[in-house]
Amino acid sequence: MALEDIDLRIRTGEFVFITGPSGAGKTTLLRLIFGAEPPTEGQIVINGINLSRISGTKLDLLRRKIGFVFQDFKLLNRRTVFQNVSLALEVTGEKGSVVRKKTHQMLRAVGLAAKEEAYPIELSGGEQQRVAIARAMINDPLILLADEPTGNLDPDITREIMVLFRSINLRGTTVVIATHSRELLRNTDQRIIVLHRGKAFE
Amino acid sequence: MVAQLRLWSTFFKHALSSILINRLIYAISVGTIAISLFIFSAFVLLSVNVKNWIQGWGQTLSISVYLKDGIDEETRETIRTAISTLQGAEIKGYISKEKALQDMKRMLGSQAGLLDGLTRNPLPASFEVAFRNAGRKTFEPKRIKEVLEKVRGVDEVQYSEQWLDQFEGLLDMLKVAGLAIGGLLCVAVLFIITNTIKLAIYSRRNEIEIYKLVGATDWYVKAPLLIEGALQGVLGGMIALGVLSVMHLLLSFKVIQVFGLPFMDFVFLSKEYALGILFLGLVLGLLGSVIAIGRFFKF
Repeated sequence: MALEDIDLRIRTGEFVFITGPSGAGKTTLLRLIFGAEPPTEGQIVINGINLSRISGTKLDLLRRKIGFVFQDFKLLNRRTVFQNVSLALEVTGEKGSVVRKKTHQMLRAVGLAAKEEAYPIELSGGEQQRVAIARAMINDPLILLADEPTGNLDPDITREIMVLFRSINLRGTTVVIATHSRELLRNTDQRIIVLHRGKAFE
Repeated sequence: MVAQLRLWSTFFKHALSSILINRLIYAISVGTIAISLFIFSAFVLLSVNVKNWIQGWGQTLSISVYLKDGIDEETRETIRTAISTLQGAEIKGYISKEKALQDMKRMLGSQAGLLDGLTRNPLPASFEVAFRNAGRKTFEPKRIKEVLEKVRGVDEVQYSEQWLDQFEGLLDMLKVAGLAIGGLLCVAVLFIITNTIKLAIYSRRNEIEIYKLVGATDWYVKAPLLIEGALQGVLGGMIALGVLSVMHLLLSFKVIQVFGLPFMDFVFLSKEYALGILFLGLVLGLLGSVIAIGRFFKF
């Protein structure tokens, strides 16, 4: 079992690090919060909604309020930066003009306004992660989950990305970052949850 | 409503872009579907025409009711009444024994002398009956034969078109063969569409994963796949019907060329049948997609 006896409460607007060695269950915890897999026991409540009590479609709709950022970015290489970000809005059935406007705004906010028509492979790792963050943020999520978001980036770029996460958090979004990077944790005064052998410690 | 339309236009866009990306696979798939549906509709076309021909001939069927020797006038009138109560029956004439012999003599012409040696007239009297506009469905010569032969004084009933029965046998065979081949082809088409959609899903698995990640509903992911399947089926059906109509044209032309005149109508499939073929393509396409989607998606 990946996780056991986890009793965790993350408040709205918090900035939380989840850390621990590889295989400690960091990714599993994020996937549980995202509803990508159900817990074998117990429950997960987000914003008052119990994930195990809602239908698949409701879960899809809830996911629009949870942004997810990955270490490997998960961008579509055949689509431009703009298209990669706008698809998160398109799936909600939003009007084309609104999609365009919000996508432009979002890309400006992450500093990629000049690269809208570029393809992911033409970008640096840091830029690709910005695209992924823009995609995760475009639906104004309540929660932003990030699984080793800086794992593939060098220290300077890591710092830039962390600044971006901070600014997102300051606008009220709850941010949960899973990482095993000591660098990232050393200079922070945020809450740190340590997972070890499937259990959580603070 | 507007949002729904927008969503559907997105679904179509996704389906078309996927078809463009995997265009070779789709071309092969549509081609195979077209061939299968062509074979099937060719069978349908053939049986429709054979049926038409049989019905056409059936409309002018005539029968001869032969009477026993030595029956009185009353019995003859009873028989006449029995015949005229049959639906669509029209008595063209009564041929007495004498008239029959005269006809025979006329037919033999110069060799009529052969009949001079007869001590008595061996030919029976008969009623000649025609059945007009009695379509093949309502006109059953076999049943009429049975009914009339039971009437007192009737010796035998003959209908000259007894060979029509054999044609009906052929029609039945065509139908059975058509259904069997059609069934097999449907399974093949289903298999092809299922595999094409599976490939489409496979080639787009990253995209689908990301759609799910950003909160797309299952329907959002599945609808374009259903559209892709349906398009394949309908497109295959349209090509099949197109090729069939061209071949039908060429064949009709050939018949006229060979026989000098269109001795029998070689009609094309009716609108209903043509739409039926397209509908079959559509259903097979959708079903293939549903099967493929069911195998892949365990969200």
